[in-house]
Amino acid sequence: MNIKDCLFALSEADGAGCLTAASDLALAKLREFVPAERGQGLTVIARLPGKTEHTIMIDAHIDQVSMVVTDVDEEGFLTVAKAGGFDLRALPSRPVTVHGKEAIPAVFCATPPHLAKGERDYTDLSEIKLDTGLGSHAKELVSPGDVVTFSAKPIELAGDKVSGRSLDDRAGVVCLLALAERLAGKELPCEVWLVLSDGEELGLRGVRPAAYTVQPDEAIAVDVTFGDGPGISPEECGKLGAGPMIGYSPALDRAVSDKLEQIAKEHDIPYQTEVMGASTGTNADAIGISRGGVKACTLSIPLRNMHTETEVISLSDVENTVALLERYLLAGGIADA
Amino acid sequence: MLDCLKELTALNAVSGDEGAVREYILRRIEGFCETTVDPLGNILAWKKGKQRAQKKIMLDAHMDEVGLIISSVTEDGFLKCKTVGGIDTSVLMFRQVKIGEINGVIGGKPIHLLGEGERKKLPDPDCLTIDIGAASKEEALRMVHLGDRAVITGEFCRMGDVIKAKAIDDRVGCAILISLLQEEAEYDFCAVFSVQEEIGLRGARTAAYTVDPQAALVLEATTAADIAGVSEENRVCRLGQGPAVSFMDRSTLYDRAYYEAALASGIPCQPKAAVAGGNNAGAVHLSRGGVRTLAISVPCRYLHSPSCMAHVQDMENAKKLARYLLEGIASGRIV
Repeated sequence: MNIKDCLFALSEADGAGCLTAASDLALAKLREFVPAERGQGLTVIARLPGKTEHTIMIDAHIDQVSMVVTDVDEEGFLTVAKAGGFDLRALPSRPVTVHGKEAIPAVFCATPPHLAKGERDYTDLSEIKLDTGLGSHAKELVSPGDVVTFSAKPIELAGDKVSGRSLDDRAGVVCLLALAERLAGKELPCEVWLVLSDGEELGLRGVRPAAYTVQPDEAIAVDVTFGDGPGISPEECGKLGAGPMIGYSPALDRAVSDKLEQIAKEHDIPYQTEVMGASTGTNADAIGISRGGVKACTLSIPLRNMHTETEVISLSDVENTVALLERYLLAGGIADA
Repeated sequence: MLDCLKELTALNAVSGDEGAVREYILRRIEGFCETTVDPLGNILAWKKGKQRAQKKIMLDAHMDEVGLIISSVTEDGFLKCKTVGGIDTSVLMFRQVKIGEINGVIGGKPIHLLGEGERKKLPDPDCLTIDIGAASKEEALRMVHLGDRAVITGEFCRMGDVIKAKAIDDRVGCAILISLLQEEAEYDFCAVFSVQEEIGLRGARTAAYTVDPQAALVLEATTAADIAGVSEENRVCRLGQGPAVSFMDRSTLYDRAYYEAALASGIPCQPKAAVAGGNNAGAVHLSRGGVRTLAISVPCRYLHSPSCMAHVQDMENAKKLARYLLEGIASGRIV
C-alpha cells in the first residue's frame, strides 16, 4: 500500500454527517487485507483474531471538522454552524463545498475594504455568511441540515512532508489501514480490533459505542497532535519527522505508555513523548472509561496547523507509527504485564 | 473570452513579475496588432482599424495581481514574506501558495493553542510564514530565492452565471482587451497591458507617456459589495447589473461627458455608487498635459482574494461598452 496515495485519497474524500466517502474508501481498503464491517454512522470495525483472549483496540477517527447549513436566504447567502472547531478568522473569501442536492461551490463573504472599520469580531460564525453566487436559485439546491466541507486538495511539500485538509485524523486512519496490511495472515498473540470511529470532532462520540462493542482490555488512540512551527513553544509541540509521540497523562495507562516506549527502543523506531496534564482531547479519554474501564494510551502524529486546510505532516511519522504499532501488537501489548 | 479568462487566472503574476501573463498575451494577440514591450514590461499593442480615429485612444488593463514577496528565511526553514498590494490578513491565513512551481502553505498557531484574546483579532501579517516543508534555512534557500513571489492559489469554477477565480482583478480587463484586439476594429486604438498597478499605478504611468493618448478607457474589476449584511446604500455595485462606471474614486475625477455617454449608451451599466478605491485612471488622466479618462469596471466580489466572483454577463457588457465608447470617441460622436 502506498501511504501517500492512500492518505491523499482519504484527504479528498468527505467524512462528515451523511457524507460517507471517506468511510466507504477506508472500508474497501481495509477489506483488501482483513474482514471489516460498518458500525454506527461512519464507524468501520475490523476484528483480527489472536491466540489469547487479551483484546487490544486500535482506534483512529474517520470524521472531519465540517459545518452544517442552518439558513438559506433569498439572495443565495447561507448561514452555517460549526460541526467541530476551527479558526473563524481564516474564513473570509475561503472556498468551500456545500453538499446540497448536488455539490455546490461557495465562498465565505469578506467585508469589502470601504466597510472594514476597526476590528472585526471573529467569534460568531452566524455573522459570516456563505455566498453561493446562485441568488434565489440557491433555495432549490440547498436546505438546512446540508453539510458544508472545506475543499483544499492535498499537496506535496519538500522532503516527505504533505499538506491537506482532514489529515486529522486521516493520518491515523492510513496507519490503521497499513497496519491491517502488515498484520493480515500473521498469527497474533492477542485479539486486535481496528476501529475507524465516527464523531470524534463532535466530542468523542462515535468511539463510545465502538469501545462498548469491542470490550477491549487495552486501547491505543492513534491521532494527531500539535507539530512544531513559528510562534509555538517547543514544550507544547512535537517535531515533524522525529517519530510518533507516545502519550503520558494521568488519564492514560502508564503500563501501555512504558511498553510502547520499550518496544520503540528495542526496534530503533524514532519516537517522542507527549506529556499531558489531564485529559488528552483524544478518543483515548472516552475509551478509558468505557464499561468497567480500559487501559488506554495515545500515539500521536505531529501535525502543523491543526483543523485547517493546510495541515502538514511528515510521512515518516506515519511509517514509524505503523512500525511501532505492528511491533507492539506482535509482542502482545501489555498482556503479560 | 471565458476560456481566455480561465487561462489568464491560472497564471501567476504578482506585481513586478508579470512575465507569464505577458508571454501569454503576446501569443494570443500575435498577428492582430503591432506590439512593443516597454522597459518596465508593459505591452503596447497598436491596433489598426478600418478608419483613422479623430482622437488617439488608449485602452488599459493591468496584468499584475496582489501576492507576497519572500523577504527572509528562518533558521528552521520557514519563509517570511511581505504583502505586495493590499491583502487582508484573513485572506492569507492557512492558505496554499505557489512560489513558481514550489508548493507551500501559510501556517499559524492552531485554534486550540490560542488565548481568548488572540481568537478575536487578526494576527500581524508579519507573523505569518510560508511552510514549504524545508527542514532548515539551507534547504529552503536551495528551493527559493529571496525576492521570489508567492501567490495564494485559487481554482477557477462556475457558480451558475458567476465565475470564481483568483486575480479576476484584472485578468478580466486583459481578457476583454485581448478579445477586442482579436476582432476587426472600426477605428485605430492602442491597447496597453500594464505592469505594477497594485503597487501604485506605476506601469500605466510610463505607458501613457509613451502612447500619448487624448482619451483613455481603463478596463478594471471593482469591488461589488452586494453581499449579505451590507445595506443597499453601501453595496457600491451589483453583480449582473452591467459594468460599473465611476464619476469619482480616490485617484480620479472622471471625464463627465464620457461618464454620461456610458450611462446613456443603452448598454447595461451602473454608476459605481461610492467614492472608494482607485485604478490606473489615476496615473493615466494626469499623464503629460492630461488625458480625458473613464474606467469601465466589472463588478467583483472579494477582490484581492483567491475567490473573486464576477458575473459572465457583466464581462460581455463591459466589452460592449468599451467598444461603444471607443467608436464614439474615435468617430467624434462622443465629444
